Amino acid sequence: MDTSRRSLRPSTRTATRTVLALSAALTLSLTAACSSSSSGNGAANPAAAKSSAADALTTPTTLTFWTWVPSIQTTVDAFEKKYPNIKVNVVNAGQSAAEYTKLQTAIKAGSGAPDVAQIEYFALPQFALSKQVVDLTAYGAASLKSSYTPSAWNQVALQGGIYGYPQDTGPLTMFYRTDIFKSLGLTAPTTWDEFAADAAKIHAADPTHYITSIDPGDAGGVDSLIWQAGGKPYQTTGSTSVTVNLKDSGSAKFATLWTSLLSKKLVDPTPGWTTDWWKSMGSGKYAMWIAGAWAPGSLETTIAATKGKWAAAPVPQWTAGANASAENGGSSDAVVSTSTHKAAAAAFAAWLNSSTEGATSLNSIGLFPATTGLLDSSAFLDQTFPFFNGQKANQVFAASSKAVTAGWQYLPYQVYANSVFKDSVGQAITNGSDLSTALGSWQTAISQYGTQQGFTVANG
Amino acid sequence: MSTATTAPDRSPERPRATPSRRSRPRPDRPRSRASTSLTVAMGLMLAYTLVPLLWLLMSSTKNSQSLFDSFGLWFGHGFSFFHNVHEVLTYDNGIYVRWLGNTVLYAVVGAGGAAALAALGGYGLAKYEFRGKRAVFGAVIGAITVPATALAVPTYLLYSKIGIVNTPWAVIIPALASPFGLYLMRVYALEAVPDSLLEAARIDGASELRTFFTISLRLLAPGFVTVLLFTLVATWNNYFLPLIVLNNPKWFPLTVGLSQWNTQTTGPQTGATLDLYPMVITGSLLAIVPLVVAFLLLQRYWQSGLAAGSVKQ
Amino acid sequence: MLFVSPFLLAFAFAIAAPLAYAAYLSLFRQGLVGGNMFVGLDNYRRALSDTLLHAGLIRVALFLAVQVPIMLGLALLAALALDSGRLRWAALFRIGIFIPYAVPGVVAALMWGYLYGPRFGLVHQIGTHLGLPLPDLLSHSWMLASLGNITTWEYTGYNMLILYAALRSVPYELYEAAEVDGAGEIRKAVSLKIPALRQALLLCTIFSIIGSFQLFNEPNVIQALAPGVISTNYTPNMYAFNLAFNGQEFNYSAAIAVVLGGITAVVAYAVQLWTNRQERAL
Repeated sequence: MDTSRRSLRPSTRTATRTVLALSAALTLSLTAACSSSSSGNGAANPAAAKSSAADALTTPTTLTFWTWVPSIQTTVDAFEKKYPNIKVNVVNAGQSAAEYTKLQTAIKAGSGAPDVAQIEYFALPQFALSKQVVDLTAYGAASLKSSYTPSAWNQVALQGGIYGYPQDTGPLTMFYRTDIFKSLGLTAPTTWDEFAADAAKIHAADPTHYITSIDPGDAGGVDSLIWQAGGKPYQTTGSTSVTVNLKDSGSAKFATLWTSLLSKKLVDPTPGWTTDWWKSMGSGKYAMWIAGAWAPGSLETTIAATKGKWAAAPVPQWTAGANASAENGGSSDAVVSTSTHKAAAAAFAAWLNSSTEGATSLNSIGLFPATTGLLDSSAFLDQTFPFFNGQKANQVFAASSKAVTAGWQYLPYQVYANSVFKDSVGQAITNGSDLSTALGSWQTAISQYGTQQGFTVANG
Repeated sequence: MSTATTAPDRSPERPRATPSRRSRPRPDRPRSRASTSLTVAMGLMLAYTLVPLLWLLMSSTKNSQSLFDSFGLWFGHGFSFFHNVHEVLTYDNGIYVRWLGNTVLYAVVGAGGAAALAALGGYGLAKYEFRGKRAVFGAVIGAITVPATALAVPTYLLYSKIGIVNTPWAVIIPALASPFGLYLMRVYALEAVPDSLLEAARIDGASELRTFFTISLRLLAPGFVTVLLFTLVATWNNYFLPLIVLNNPKWFPLTVGLSQWNTQTTGPQTGATLDLYPMVITGSLLAIVPLVVAFLLLQRYWQSGLAAGSVKQ
Repeated sequence: MLFVSPFLLAFAFAIAAPLAYAAYLSLFRQGLVGGNMFVGLDNYRRALSDTLLHAGLIRVALFLAVQVPIMLGLALLAALALDSGRLRWAALFRIGIFIPYAVPGVVAALMWGYLYGPRFGLVHQIGTHLGLPLPDLLSHSWMLASLGNITTWEYTGYNMLILYAALRSVPYELYEAAEVDGAGEIRKAVSLKIPALRQALLLCTIFSIIGSFQLFNEPNVIQALAPGVISTNYTPNMYAFNLAFNGQEFNYSAAIAVVLGGITAVVAYAVQLWTNRQERAL
């Protein structure tokens, strides 16, 4: 039921790493951001918004915050310490689709919904369309635009409003086993052609080994690969017209390459995050993992024994020398329409994600930042990763974040679309059959559902 | 529908009036020579049911690493059982203990209430005539066939209108109605409570309620325990409805909580200090124990109650 | 009536009202765009021609046709063995085989999921030890059997106990008469015990039919391990769940629930009718 289960769950990293240095860097950059934006292109009156936020933060209020980030209580504690009048109840109501189910049912029922909810980018358009989350423009959100990376901001600035604050992002990265590539006399692939050639060599050297796996249940992973290939299969025009085209050039590039790899059994069609999969990851059965920049925490904690053998590198390119990336997962924090404390909720979400302390603290518990202040700070970029044998991996991630191809959109019913991914594309991945045909079937299912829901659906 | 439409007295052989009171008809011990091949065959079946549980038991003594690379039916490197139990009981401020407490609450109030209502209702249906009795019984039995999964959403929407969503009531109220329990108790009451006894009580001037509590209830005890155990299992194992109607982990029962832990193992947020795989496994083991103990302790009662309910229709 | 009313009150709140509400919901349609409208029986018409729903129904029917006889057969054999009086340690077997019933369905499915893992699961470990090339139990061709195994594991003991309890209440005198006639255990079982179990077997069959049509927990848990095999419409209940919770199609989902309840009732009733006819024919 939870196809998106791994779209982006940040991981708790052990140490608070370089919090102090980062705080200093951030204070500077955020101050700059705020002062520059006060010249104001926000829809609402920024001064009024600011004062209402200040009022809201001094009025005794209890907020409920649904999130599945494990150690976020630390960050919330810092907020409560700073604004003692606001009490925030952190509730883990399930992750991803499980949470959205509850959120939608609770909003529909009119009671039991939280004030602030973590919502992944792919699901946000659906909540925005039905106005189940609040347009934050009225609470001065526009003034924070420059604090965030364009790729993160574009995923919350939807349908003419701003429906959440970016909490974290997942710029696509190639994590690979240096020892395996070295032992076969290979270097990390920089293009997909090299990737395919390496896949054959790795499998030929040991038929139980693969260059990587592909998850038949993970629509988000396939979306990221299509995105990185320049595809834009989902487009929304107006509030009721959508275009679904899973045969565009990016989708076709993805389908051709991976159909070939799967039919030759050069990649392993195994669902991720299972015990079997982790054992394969830990035992060197897979030479790489293409995932968002949130991955290091998972690797460090689950397969600690492989420490020092991994490295991060840019994703292989379709054109040699190009620099195209995509997002894989990532979440926003949105204010729920049934909240009776919207101003305080908006102020809390803004503080959590864009203030110096908030953003730094989120990073220290393993979230990959969405704020430019952190991404550009030298303390962040120069951090060394023992798991990656001392590599300054944040530089790779930050570069990927900057290289994210613009123009990607999700459907206003992507949660359902992703849930039926496994019925067509997932089956083709498992069976090694033609992915282009399967993408076509998925498109049909998505289009039929859209029409039933009252959308005008165009293909191509 | 189904079984209910068969009239109760059509049963060809009815050996006795009070099934519970009679001593066991045949000895448990082998009368004649014990058959070795039969014992071996049953041994295989026992192995089939117990091997997965042995795996669970062995796995609860292992840490993550050992879980991944040791043989499933024997101990791994090191003995982490007590460490695992400690982790399970203390993780997240002891939320597991809270879940256990919730489960006990739902089981005691929900299952106990369901058994009591079924006993009252089954007794009423068996011993009294009133208009619409057949219709009531037919509707109740027919309701067994409706998928619980499908009722979850309407239940949620309805309950939120009366404001009990996300409270223990949202789990307890649905647990209170046990159509199967009612059916079983009705069959049992027909058998176990002789009409003559009720007549005698009436002649003595006892009220119907008083008769029920002083005379009938005692006769109904084995049937009651049987229904109690089945409703207990149903509430203890209930997963789907609580998953839907509860948002706050503080009210989760064990099944929903464990399954939430499990989804956390299938996502990258398995944090640095958490070792969730062993916790899911050890937590599952601990969740099974109370029910098994309850079944063992109450064996004598439920077996005779079951006997009555299953033959006499 | 006084005695029945508390139950009826609970019944009304817990089952009747949600059921009526589901039936009511099934007459409407609410899209993400366009609001709520009354559509009469449209949702039922859609269900009639919905190939995804039909595929799920056919799958559970197949599951039912294979798994239920195997499970009840095993339960019957075990009950007869317990009752034969020729079994050592009968009490141990009785409780041991019954124990899986006390394991929550979700936990049982999780556990078997670990055991089925095609590379490192216990089944695979044992296969490797014995040098047997075992198939991938989570693959397309084996999935239904693997799920059947989980439900068989969970419920054989439960059915065994119901049957055993029924056997125990067969009057002893009948057996004595048969023994005087010199009947062996097997003949006694076939000619005396199984006929006496007719009603209990019917009860078990009907409950198993209901259970099969409602199949949800096991495939839903295993889906995470084999997303390319277990589709969202693998069973009708999973289909209804996905429509309601991922697709927001509460109305159509409610219609499917009503249809499913109807089909289950019809099948269960047909089985009972057939059994009664057999009985009359004897």
